[in-house]
Amino acid sequence: MGEANRFSRYAYTVIVLFLIWILLTASLDRQELIFGFLLSLFVASFTYPMFTSRGLGNLHPRRVAYAMAYVPYFLWAMIMANLDVAYRVLHPKRPIRPGIVHCKTVLKSNTGKLSLANSITLTPGTITLDVDGEDYFIHWIWVPDEVLGAKTEGEHVENASRNITRPFEKFLKVIFG
Amino acid sequence: MVSVLKRSLAIITLLIIGYWLAQGLAGVPFGQDRMLVGKYYLENVKAQTGAVNAVTAIVVNYRGFDTLGEVTVLFIASTGVGALLWRRKKRRTAKTEGSVVLRTGSELLFPFILMFGTYIFIHGHLTPGGGFPGGATIATAFLILYMAFVDYEIPHRLFEPLEGLAGMGYVLVGLIGLAIGSYFLFDWIWQTWHWGAANLGRLFSGGFIPIIYTLIGLKVGTELSGIVDSMLTEEVRE
Repeated sequence: MGEANRFSRYAYTVIVLFLIWILLTASLDRQELIFGFLLSLFVASFTYPMFTSRGLGNLHPRRVAYAMAYVPYFLWAMIMANLDVAYRVLHPKRPIRPGIVHCKTVLKSNTGKLSLANSITLTPGTITLDVDGEDYFIHWIWVPDEVLGAKTEGEHVENASRNITRPFEKFLKVIFG
Repeated sequence: MVSVLKRSLAIITLLIIGYWLAQGLAGVPFGQDRMLVGKYYLENVKAQTGAVNAVTAIVVNYRGFDTLGEVTVLFIASTGVGALLWRRKKRRTAKTEGSVVLRTGSELLFPFILMFGTYIFIHGHLTPGGGFPGGATIATAFLILYMAFVDYEIPHRLFEPLEGLAGMGYVLVGLIGLAIGSYFLFDWIWQTWHWGAANLGRLFSGGFIPIIYTLIGLKVGTELSGIVDSMLTEEVRE
């Protein structure tokens, strides 16, 4: 993934910070906007190298559209996972079979890995324990037979990834790369 | 035998103190408003300070000298930490780098935390908050970088002069008040210039409260970051 030029990265940081400022103040008063814009210019001037590497490329319409579609998709996944865990807790036999599984991700960027790890942790039933390069180690409340009974490491990783990381990656791959 | 004596002594002491308190409170007429000072503040705060947040106006304006003392207390605490942990040569000695989640997350959050800290101290005269919580928020941004990266250190050359200048700025604002008005920390921006009188309750108002809170925010932020730095660096020997 190539790095965007400095102006593009700076401009992107200013835009994001200014939007955050508007959300914080919840006001379109001219004085607030002027001060917020100057503050964004100032804060971005020394934080942009760490904040973004792709700059304005993040605002590509396709990425923004996928990011907006990801919110309801993720909320839906979270609701379903909540119901699943609630079922396991309330069921008299308590059908849990916890274990740690190994997944591999196709995401390359650090931001993508961060959001995948957080998406996994935020959905009940799965917790990201560690991320090491492309390897994810995930604690799962119910390790299914296909993962538990996998003959080889490759099969285990493939089955676990198909269940946990793939659904999120469809979106995150486009949004963050 | 001793315990009975002790207990009866305690009971007698309590009775005496209780009688005392009851006597004292009996002098206060029940159900009458005794909050004369509080009422004075609430009735005059807008006209006298230009701030809509009465708490901040009291802290910075009516009792600005006390706040200067608080800043001094924090400065002495920071100096104490620095003196106790002082070594000729200090460096970060942490060995375990944070995981990719922690590192990326802290990089993404850092500018937001700075923005939020500034938001808190610049809106001191409008919303709850002010220089002290704002500065503490800014210091947490640097604390997060310390946690995530093994070799991160704050820019000492920038922070140490900035801390001193912010503290001097506070005294300077007070001295200008002394020169223009009649006393130390006289609010010249509001009382002499009436600056911001047209937009009470908006950002550019409140006399010198935003200026002082900006200075306090910078001072507290750099100071607490300095304390974090003193605690997370260790002596190295060649």
